[in-house]
Amino acid sequence: MSEPDDIKLMERCSKGDRHAFELLLARYEKPVFNAAYRMLNSPDDARDVTQTVFLKVYEHLDQYDPKYRFFSWIYRITLNESINWLKKANRLDALEGDTADTASGPEQEASNEQLSEGMQAALMTISPDYRAVIVLKHLLGCSYQEISEVLEIPENKVKSRLYTARQLLQETLIARGLH
Amino acid sequence: MTIDPKYFELIQADIDSEIDDVGKTELENFLAESEEGRAVYEELETLCRSLDSMPSVDPPQHLRHVLLNQAPIKAPPQPEPGFLERIFSGPALGYVGVFAAGVALTLALVDSGQISQGAFDEVTGLVGTIADTKFSAPEHGSISIDESEVAGTVTLRSQGPLLIVDFDLSARQPVEIVAGYSDKSIWFNGFAQLESSGTSIASETGAVTLKMDGKRRYAVYLNNPRMRSATVDLQFMADNQVIHEAQLSFPEAD
Repeated sequence: MSEPDDIKLMERCSKGDRHAFELLLARYEKPVFNAAYRMLNSPDDARDVTQTVFLKVYEHLDQYDPKYRFFSWIYRITLNESINWLKKANRLDALEGDTADTASGPEQEASNEQLSEGMQAALMTISPDYRAVIVLKHLLGCSYQEISEVLEIPENKVKSRLYTARQLLQETLIARGLH
Repeated sequence: MTIDPKYFELIQADIDSEIDDVGKTELENFLAESEEGRAVYEELETLCRSLDSMPSVDPPQHLRHVLLNQAPIKAPPQPEPGFLERIFSGPALGYVGVFAAGVALTLALVDSGQISQGAFDEVTGLVGTIADTKFSAPEHGSISIDESEVAGTVTLRSQGPLLIVDFDLSARQPVEIVAGYSDKSIWFNGFAQLESSGTSIASETGAVTLKMDGKRRYAVYLNNPRMRSATVDLQFMADNQVIHEAQLSFPEAD
């Protein structure tokens, strides 16, 4: 993550440099979309959240504090927007219900694809706060310290949240014969 | 046997590559003696590998265009060129540089029927700016384009005898669009765009050719005096290659 570049790009964006924005977009469109997708389990919702995230980024260009790293800012917006999306649309229960019947039977061979689908389904069974640490760690490759920065929680809490999230995932996968 | 919680933490830290040397040594000693600890380590490592291998998903192709389109970033104002410079700065080959000359060609104007009824084979008529992107004219069809070079929509509307081809596009590179209409009774009646200067246009009998780059919103006005059914064939080209073709149809007016 070439942070100085991000900050320079943000400065150029705030001066109306559209090309700088395109560069930021090229850098963060995919991770933002993927984070939202893993949080929401829907490409359409992920697309909408990605739009909202970048809109918020433009709208708050002047509020960005360069002493914080850009990625932690945009990932925080992404996770918050994803959680808000779930809350606003009252989808939390619905999503858990939707994924409840996606479990593979123990007799089925857990191919990589099945495992990936099973993992996504299992992700949807844990709370968004736990899901967020998993997304940050395993999808966005953040360290404990970076997760702490994004979520604005102490590192110890990151570790315990990550551990609990993994335990819950493991239990779900075992129950579904995928682990 | 119950595992001391501190070893869970060390196991996790090791798998996440966040363990220090002291912790690493302590963990190795523990694992050497604890079969249960090794089983826990292996389970967690397997889970983490599975999570790490979850595939990354490509965003929809058009999302980048949409995100660029919605960016409310305003470019700093450029110095205005002089009047003569604007007049004579048009590209060659009959392309007329479109400039926002303050001819506010809006739907309000269209509604008021102030459209010239003269026929043009050269673009000398209505060139101006769209003041309002919310067209109230009835829509007869719309096509979406989602190519890597250009994405967006083209919509056909009508207002009395006027056909309005409404382009809302974002191009990653220079793109040429030919809008052809085979009915000889239809003629080009004007062009308007949101305030910008990135689109050029040429007209010949039966076709209008537009060149654009970046995000553009513009409308081509065609006069269909008999209000007959008509089709507009759209051909999108980049690097002299056809990248997309589509057709919009206007049904005969009642």
